[in-house]
Amino acid sequence: MTKKKKSLEETATAEALTQPITITATTEDLKTRLEEIKGYDGVIGYILRNATSATIDLKDPTKLIEYAILSSSALDAAEELSELFNLGDFHDILVEGKNSKILSLTIGENRISIFFEKNADIEKPLKKLHTF
Amino acid sequence: MTENDVYAIALQNALDEMRNACPDIQHAFIFKETGEIVAGDAETPQKVIVRVLDAFNDIFNRAEAIGGVEAVTLKCGGGTVALHSFGEHNLVIVTSANADLKYINTLTRVLIPTVLKLLEKISPTPLKNIPAQQSPPTPLPIPTLKGETETPKVDESMKEAGAEEPIIEKPKEEEIKTEAPSFEVPATQLIVENVGGLLVPSDTVRIDNETLTQWESMFEGKKVEYVEIETFDGKTTKCKVKPIKDSKYFGKGVVQIPEKMQLTLEIKRGELVRVRPIIE
Repeated sequence: MTKKKKSLEETATAEALTQPITITATTEDLKTRLEEIKGYDGVIGYILRNATSATIDLKDPTKLIEYAILSSSALDAAEELSELFNLGDFHDILVEGKNSKILSLTIGENRISIFFEKNADIEKPLKKLHTF
Repeated sequence: MTENDVYAIALQNALDEMRNACPDIQHAFIFKETGEIVAGDAETPQKVIVRVLDAFNDIFNRAEAIGGVEAVTLKCGGGTVALHSFGEHNLVIVTSANADLKYINTLTRVLIPTVLKLLEKISPTPLKNIPAQQSPPTPLPIPTLKGETETPKVDESMKEAGAEEPIIEKPKEEEIKTEAPSFEVPATQLIVENVGGLLVPSDTVRIDNETLTQWESMFEGKKVEYVEIETFDGKTTKCKVKPIKDSKYFGKGVVQIPEKMQLTLEIKRGELVRVRPIIE
């Protein structure tokens, strides 16, 4: 009995190690980090949205609605595609256009989209967001 | 072999070779802007592909702000979905978590455009005029040279622009013209879209005017007033057809079907159906 319990504990530990780390970032933390990311080279702006609030910061506010709709579509498509192909937890989706690109991801209940110039580096902002 | 077959076979071979070179590619298929699936793997069910196209379609429709879609990369714990746009062709690749994405991306971005460019050089006919791959291609009659009588159903309008003028005996040409509408026009594969607005007639579907004009030219200008809709489950219905009014659907390869008819056919927005003109 003890042996079985131990074995179960070992399995649970092994599973915990292979599971993605749950990010429990608060919205305020994210806002601070996104503000910093906004200053990176090639970053046009961002949208941070959750069930109760939304923060939008774009260099060109005329495209605000179009960007918001596109990022929402990208996140919806990401959920649908990961489910269709049984790909497990969704990490992020990058939509590259001829002029610019959008990186969308979810952290906890927060839906985040960062807008970049076409040739901007996305790795640094991604790292910044995932260092919680 | 039609040009459509040539394209489909060449692209299918390219996909197969890619999958041989990278066993981590789980699914791969190529579709056109119109929603037509040009090549793909047998393991991906049709319904899944249709839902994938629907998901990407939402992104495509809203990507004007970024200058249109060039690529989409979705990263998940269990793998990656990547879409690469090559003009009017789009390639979707699903890879496992361990896949070498750099290698696959390099291979993809070199191989598929090369094959497409090659095909374009060999057979520069605009692809959008070629009927859907999945409908069994009706053997289109080849204009015969003088003295040959094997394919009497040739229609003048079917000849490719710029093709060499075959010498056909005059009496036979007249005979041909009277028989022309009797050949079966291949079904066109279209994506189901809802019909918006008030007082929508429940017995009428709407199709791109370009498609209707093409059909009418095949029927020597006869107006196409009815079409047959066939679902992938084999359900069919005959209904009236009119051109699409909403400009946002022009050239998108959609058929607007009233909600009631969608319920009857057990289909929904985003699914593919075959549409065939009926001349009465």
